[in-house]
Amino acid sequence: MDRFNSIAAQGNRVVTDVLDDMDRLVGLTPEDALFKARRFRPEFVDGTEICRASVLHPANDQGLGADLRLALGLRMAQLNAHKTLAADYRAQLLALEPTPQIIALADGATDLEEPLATIARHVDLITLEPIKATAGDIARLAAAGFSNPQIVALSELIAFVNFQVRVATGLSLMRSA
Amino acid sequence: MISSVRLKPLTWHPHIAPVELSEATPEQLEAMKVTPSAKKVSEYVRTLAHDPESYVARTVLFNAIMYVDGGLDKPARELGALGASIVNGCKYCAVVHARRHAELTKSDDVVTALYFERPEELGPRDAAIYNFARRLSAAPSEATQEDIAALRSVGMDDAEIIDLIHAISIFGWANRLMHVLGHAESK
Repeated sequence: MDRFNSIAAQGNRVVTDVLDDMDRLVGLTPEDALFKARRFRPEFVDGTEICRASVLHPANDQGLGADLRLALGLRMAQLNAHKTLAADYRAQLLALEPTPQIIALADGATDLEEPLATIARHVDLITLEPIKATAGDIARLAAAGFSNPQIVALSELIAFVNFQVRVATGLSLMRSA
Repeated sequence: MISSVRLKPLTWHPHIAPVELSEATPEQLEAMKVTPSAKKVSEYVRTLAHDPESYVARTVLFNAIMYVDGGLDKPARELGALGASIVNGCKYCAVVHARRHAELTKSDDVVTALYFERPEELGPRDAAIYNFARRLSAAPSEATQEDIAALRSVGMDDAEIIDLIHAISIFGWANRLMHVLGHAESK
């Protein structure tokens, strides 16, 4: 297997047999051919986990807490109609004992306190119709009191969840096709 | 016969003020991999350096997905990126990756067919890749098992399809940064 050899030649990388978040979303076990096929690309497997941590549990959260981030993850998973990912985010969110406002944000409410209403509007737009984004949408976030680091951190979170849901969807289709 | 398209590169400008190198924290400088003597770092990098941890993590993953050796050929990855960028409306990304596809294949044929919205002129392998890229990029996804079957029917193995899924998906990410945080202009 040339591919195995090329990975081995890169050295020092341990291709883990531990189930990660993506395996759980797709329903893979170490015996599945697709579980093994994912490990042809250890840099994708590891990189996705590192990115997930960087947007959900960063060392510096820029003042955007884990409860808010997980609630937005749940909201976006539901917008993408991905039940398994939504259940995954819901379990993580509920473990933090979120406030009723955060739960309402997670479950798609729009009649929220500010700045949550402004965040919700933005997250829905960028998730469902990124093509419609304009400079005015970023100006709304700034007007709601978000700093530039918060606007970038929020953008990375939104973009990551939309990446995550597509990888999970694609792998699930491979598994069932 | 339609004349071939040669797209000119665009420049990107952020909607928010990027990090100034003179005011950057040590972590931001490390993320941008610049020394205090560096004169020029792109506005894109300086904008995303506002949140250095996610910038570094994503950049490492992006480079692996688009440029790692073996597996899916590079033009196919670029075609996946282009299909996603068209659906997501990121003009800047679409031009960059259309140009890269043309460079790699030494042909403007695919880019021309897509620019004139004539995907029926694509060959069967390119059509299977492009259709999957468009359908997986919709929100919610419109991709089906038939799309995977179409990729397999043109000879793609599981490792190549996994590479393609990642190339399309990472542009579900990149497009939501470039098109949301800034705008593209002609040079």
